[in-house]
This record gives sequence, C-alpha cells and structure tokens, in this order.
Amino acid sequence: MTAPRRTPGSAAIVGAAAASAYGLRWRGLGAALRDAALAFAPSAQLGATHPGTLASEVPPARAGEDPTDPKARKLMSRAAHLAAMALSRALADAGISSGREAVGYFLGLGASGGPIEELHAILRACAAGGRLDLGRFARDGLPATSPLLAFHLLNNLVLCHGAIAEGVGGPNAAFHSRGSGTFLALEEALWALDDGACERAVAGGADSALHLGTYVELLQGGAIAEGLVPGEGAALLALSRAAERPLGWLDRCAVRRGPDLRAAADAVWDAVDPGAPDWLVLAPWGPPARETLRGVARARLPGAAVVDASAGLGDALAAAPALACAAALDLVSAGGGRALVLGAGLDGAAGAAILSSGGRG
Amino acid sequence: VSRAVITGAGVVSAFGVGLEPFLDGLARGATAVGPIRSFDASAFPVRVAGEVPVAEVGPAWVSAHLPGHDGAVARWGAAGCFRDRKVAFALLAAAEAWRAAGCGPGERAAGLSVAFGIEHTLFDDLALLFDGRDVDWARGADAPLPPVRIRTPFDLGARVLLAHLALEGPVAVHASACAGGALAVAHAAALVERGAAPLVLCGASDSMLEPFGFGGFCRLGALSPRSEPDACRPFDRRRDGLAIGEGAAMFVVEDEARARARGARPLAAVLGWGSSQDGHRLTAPRPDGAAALRAMEAALRRARVAPEAIGYVNAHGTGTPLNDVAEARALRALLGPAAARVPVSSIKGAVGHLMAASGAIELAACLLPLGRDLLPGTAHHRERDPECDLLVVGEAPAPARPEAVLSNSFGFGGQNAAVVLGRCG
Repeated sequence: MTAPRRTPGSAAIVGAAAASAYGLRWRGLGAALRDAALAFAPSAQLGATHPGTLASEVPPARAGEDPTDPKARKLMSRAAHLAAMALSRALADAGISSGREAVGYFLGLGASGGPIEELHAILRACAAGGRLDLGRFARDGLPATSPLLAFHLLNNLVLCHGAIAEGVGGPNAAFHSRGSGTFLALEEALWALDDGACERAVAGGADSALHLGTYVELLQGGAIAEGLVPGEGAALLALSRAAERPLGWLDRCAVRRGPDLRAAADAVWDAVDPGAPDWLVLAPWGPPARETLRGVARARLPGAAVVDASAGLGDALAAAPALACAAALDLVSAGGGRALVLGAGLDGAAGAAILSSGGRG
Repeated sequence: VSRAVITGAGVVSAFGVGLEPFLDGLARGATAVGPIRSFDASAFPVRVAGEVPVAEVGPAWVSAHLPGHDGAVARWGAAGCFRDRKVAFALLAAAEAWRAAGCGPGERAAGLSVAFGIEHTLFDDLALLFDGRDVDWARGADAPLPPVRIRTPFDLGARVLLAHLALEGPVAVHASACAGGALAVAHAAALVERGAAPLVLCGASDSMLEPFGFGGFCRLGALSPRSEPDACRPFDRRRDGLAIGEGAAMFVVEDEARARARGARPLAAVLGWGSSQDGHRLTAPRPDGAAALRAMEAALRRARVAPEAIGYVNAHGTGTPLNDVAEARALRALLGPAAARVPVSSIKGAVGHLMAASGAIELAACLLPLGRDLLPGTAHHRERDPECDLLVVGEAPAPARPEAVLSNSFGFGGQNAAVVLGRCG
C-alpha cells in the first residue's frame, strides 16, 4: 500500500546562465556543442602539478563580467565562485530584481574544494618523516591557516556564497551529485513551484574536476585513464510557475536507479516519456556512463540529433547535467521543439529532463 | 492525502549507541560533553566535545553493536570506511532504525535521504606525500601501495547504507551543513507523500572530531573557549560559544496507512517542513531572525498547525551569542503572545552540536515529549539572557504532553530548516 505516484507540473524557464569553457553565457552553448566545437586546452589550474593536462576550463572573466565582490571571492571555492557568477547572471537574465528573499534555490554540487596552499601550510608546520605531529598541528599548523578556511571548504557554501551575494532567501536544498543529484535539484525546484513553496526558483549545478584534490582522486580511481577529460562549470535555470512567452519550459524531470546504469537510464527514459524529442543532449559522468547513454540513444532514438555535452565540455561532474540543460535551452529557444537531457553517473542512477520551446527566442 | 510517519529511529550520540540511551540521558537531564578521548587534544585551544564514547572506531566496535554482519563490517573496515567516524555512526543508527521499524526484505523498495558533513581529510595519508616542503601530488596520482587517499568521499556513508540494506528506491544525499539532517527528514516525508517511495530511510550523521575538523572550528572562533563540560550554555546570559558533538540519527519514514497495515507502530507524524536562506552574511545569522522565521512559518503552514498550537520548540540553540538571540527573535515573532507559554529547549548543552546531524538528532529528541511526555531540558542554562525572551526549559526536563512540536536547524552559510512533528494516535 503506497500513495499513488505524483509528478510535479511544468515550469516556465524565464532566464538562464552558464559558466563553461565557452565563457559566461548560455546562448550559443547548445549550438557550439552541436557543431562539435572542442573547448579543451591545457589546464591552468593543474599546470603546476600536472602540466599539459587537457581540460575544459572556464576562462578568466573579462573585465566587468564577474559580478562577485572581490573580497567575498577570496572565501569562495572555485565551484562556489562559478555558482555565484551563474546565480547573478541567471537572476539578471530573468529580470528578478526584487522579491529575491522568496526565490528558491536548488543546486547539485560536488566535493569540497579549499585552497591547496592552506593544506600545504599546515603540513609544513607539523609533518615530518611521513608523520603528523598533533601537538605541532595544534600549536603551529592551525595558526598557519585562515580562520575562515571553513567557508572555502563546506560543501553547501557553493550554494550559500551566491545566495548571500544576491539576497536569495527562499526554499532551498543542496544535493551532493555524481550526476543524478543535479537532476534531483531540478526536480525539487519543480516540486517547490508546484506545491507553492515559492513562485520562482533557480536550479542547476556547479562543480570543478580541476581542483587538485578532486583531480588526483579521479586519477587514482582510474577515471582519467578511462578517458575522462576534467571539466568544470556552473549552470542555472531560472524557473517560474507561470510566464507569458518564456524562454522555454522545463516540462519534466526525474531520477531513477537500477541494477545497472543501462537499466537506470531506461527507467528514467520511461519515467519522463519523451516521445520523439528534436534534440537529445547527453550529460554523462565519466566514460562508462557516456557509452551507456550513447547505447540508450541508439536503441531508443536511432538517427536522432544527439549532442554529447561531454564531448565539448569534458566531465564537469555535478555541473554537467545543468550545463547540458543550458545547452538544450539554447537549442530549443533558438530553433523550437523539444529536447531531452539524459544523464548518468557513478552512483548507479540516471536523470532526465525535458525542455521545450517557450516562444521567446 | 497520505501522511508520513516515523516508524523507527536509531541514534548514536555522546550518550552511547541507541535511541534509548539517548532519550534516557535527556530524561535524566544529564550532560555528555567532556574531555576529548579519540585523539590527543591536549595542545588544542579547546579540549571538550560531545564525543561518542569510543576512542577508536573500527570493525570490532561496529560489529559489537551490529551482530550478525561481521563479514560485511570487516570488508568495510578493510576498505578504510570507518576511518571516517560518521560512516560507522550512520550504519549503526540506520540499522537500529530499520530494525525498530520492523523492516525486512519486504521494504527493499525504500528510498534513502541522508545528510552528511564535510569530507574527512586524511591527514595521516597526506603526511606520507609530504617531502618536507610540499605535497608530491604526482606521487599521489600514481596511487602507490598502499594507496594514499586525500579524504573520504562525501557520500561514502550513503554507499555503505545502500549496500547494507540493499535499498532500491530513490537516493538523495543532502549537503546543507547544520540544516542537512532536518532537510533530509523533510525530503523523506515529501517522497512518501508524493508516492515516490513507500518508505524512506532518512537522517544524518556527522563527526568533526578529528584534528583537522575540530581544529578548523577552533580556528573559526565558534567554540566556547572554556574546556569544561558546561561549555555550551544555550540562551544563557553567560554563553560564549558552542561545543562540538558527533553522532547520527536515522529514521524510517513511511506512509501511515502502509505502516499500520504491516503492524508498525508510528512514533510521530512528520506534519510539515519549511526552508529558507538568510542571504545575509557568512559569519553571522540575520540579527532579526527574519529568514529563520520564514522557514518556521512555511513548516507550520504545511503542517496546518497554528503557532499557538505548538506545544514545544526544540531550538537550534547553539549557545553562540548571535545565533541564540536571532532565533529567540524569530520565535517571538512566530509565536506572538503564545511565546510566554510555549516551552523551548536546546539539547546542544547535553550532547554538543552535531553539525550536519544536529537536525536529525534533535528530531530524535522530540520523541521524548511525543513518546514519554517529557520535554528535554537545556543543559547548563541557568541565567536566561533577557535578549532571549523565551520560556526556556531549564536544566531539568519538564513533564508535558504536546500534540505538535517544532524543531529548528540553521546551517553555516545561512540555510534554515524547520520541521513540525505531531503525536500519532
């Protein structure tokens, strides 16, 4: 005996933002990916430790492009900075300048990303001979770090830094994401709008595989050897319960698990029931997921127009589904029709979102 | 409309392993904050915490509390999972909740909605990569034997729970700092109400009681500088900071009709929830408590409970100068004239601040009034701060039989959550 399963209603997409290797814009992102414009280059962030590593890295913001306060920026992890820039731009794109205290904010995010220099400072103060001296750690190591290091490290601050800067104060949630958590953030935004918790919400994801700690974990786990190209980014959709001539519609969003990734992907496909979308945008988390999603695409929509976001953006981890949604929005808002965004990750779950044109290009 | 109820609960706290030791400790008005024993904290500026009474968390300790699973526990131990104490705490609390709810193979469709604190930094491993000047990250990249790890994965606890109970339903891993536990339980109730899962294992686990995490909080200046058992004194005029705690609280939340049909006894109903963000400053809450108020109002609205019908508030009550005043202002605004007669308490003086798990364990504390008709006291609260003009339950627990209770959780960074629980007939 279980309550009948309900699904939330669709939401109008009234604005968007993306920070990716293609720059700080969502318009043109889908077209660039469709046209297979590669955005890989040797990583600047990994240059000191792993020179020559090909990556999909967000370029430095041009003058006037970065809306974040330089003082606040010093306390932000890379993902938090990207998310804060995206939040500011998404709100501006949506014209949400007042009533922000009631705007919801739902985000998929990844591992924490504090400055490595702080870690080194601690170790210089208290490590010797392969061992950590706890006494020296307390006496010398801690004072060597910033008292505000926690604000770099805490995972949820990827969401909070931007919210503070922009005065966003509505219902919210931050989900750790190995792919599907970002779709969950989008789905929870739909629910928040559907059940009246808020009238407007911003949802998406932010992450960086170029943080040294994360990159080394990917190396150790074998993902780089499998072909994962580290990426990073942030993307957000600004959603509203209703709008006249929006940019598009977020019609459905769902996450499903299965005994394996293929089963999960099939289950989520059935859950959102996309029919025959005009675009299929893939957001895999790593090479095995990429192969799975491509297999599903071949089986379900042979001959369809498939855009693999990771082919141009690398593996942007928790940001990947959100960037794929931004790309899908670009495609449907420019050319009309509907897009299915399909993702899968390391957590054995798959996510899907359907976006359709809203009439405002 | 289906109603979500709690049918099982499990706790690991400074009072020990189990819901009953936790509730018994609160019912005695005891405090479990004391000297740190799990690592040598003698050189740290602060040396007390609400520590789970185990010096070294390993397979033997876990197996002693989880009989019949020695093989799996040994494998997780060998894989290093218990180097992060919160993983073991999550496992034990979840197993207790699952067992208490009478769940078995018929409940495999359950979902999982859990919150954890920040990744556990493995400094001992990093020290192996340190060459006297820098960390040789390239050597780490080659994964020498034994593999050097930097930190435990954020979702490691979730992976262990999924493997242990073979859950097949939807999974959500919340990363919302001190609001995470409450949001995880709220999300579980939402999943049940939406029909996304027949039942959901939910809750949170955290431990910052390792040198880096604890040291970071020392550095932040949020801890009471007094290394005494009464370090945390919520709403007290003399309060000077929080005491860190550790532990876990897990629940089985399910559809009430389903629960009753299978003979499970509901412990409490999850009536409503709400969230908000301060959007104010990194280092301080909104002084007027306006955002926290919005979360509470949303929770009451969803619960269809009037403010004056709330019979008890389990406050976030960290014992820090700014947080307690802001929360008191928010509660005054919420309750209006009823603030003079609605009792409020905080358990953080007794068990410390469990960070990501605080919202979950404080919901477990609400089972004391809902199950034993007793309000938890506020350990070490002796002189009420006039700025915290609330009916604060003192150190001794107080008899009462509330029909509905409100629990607040406010996270670092400004995420706020409020949950309303109700008595089940």
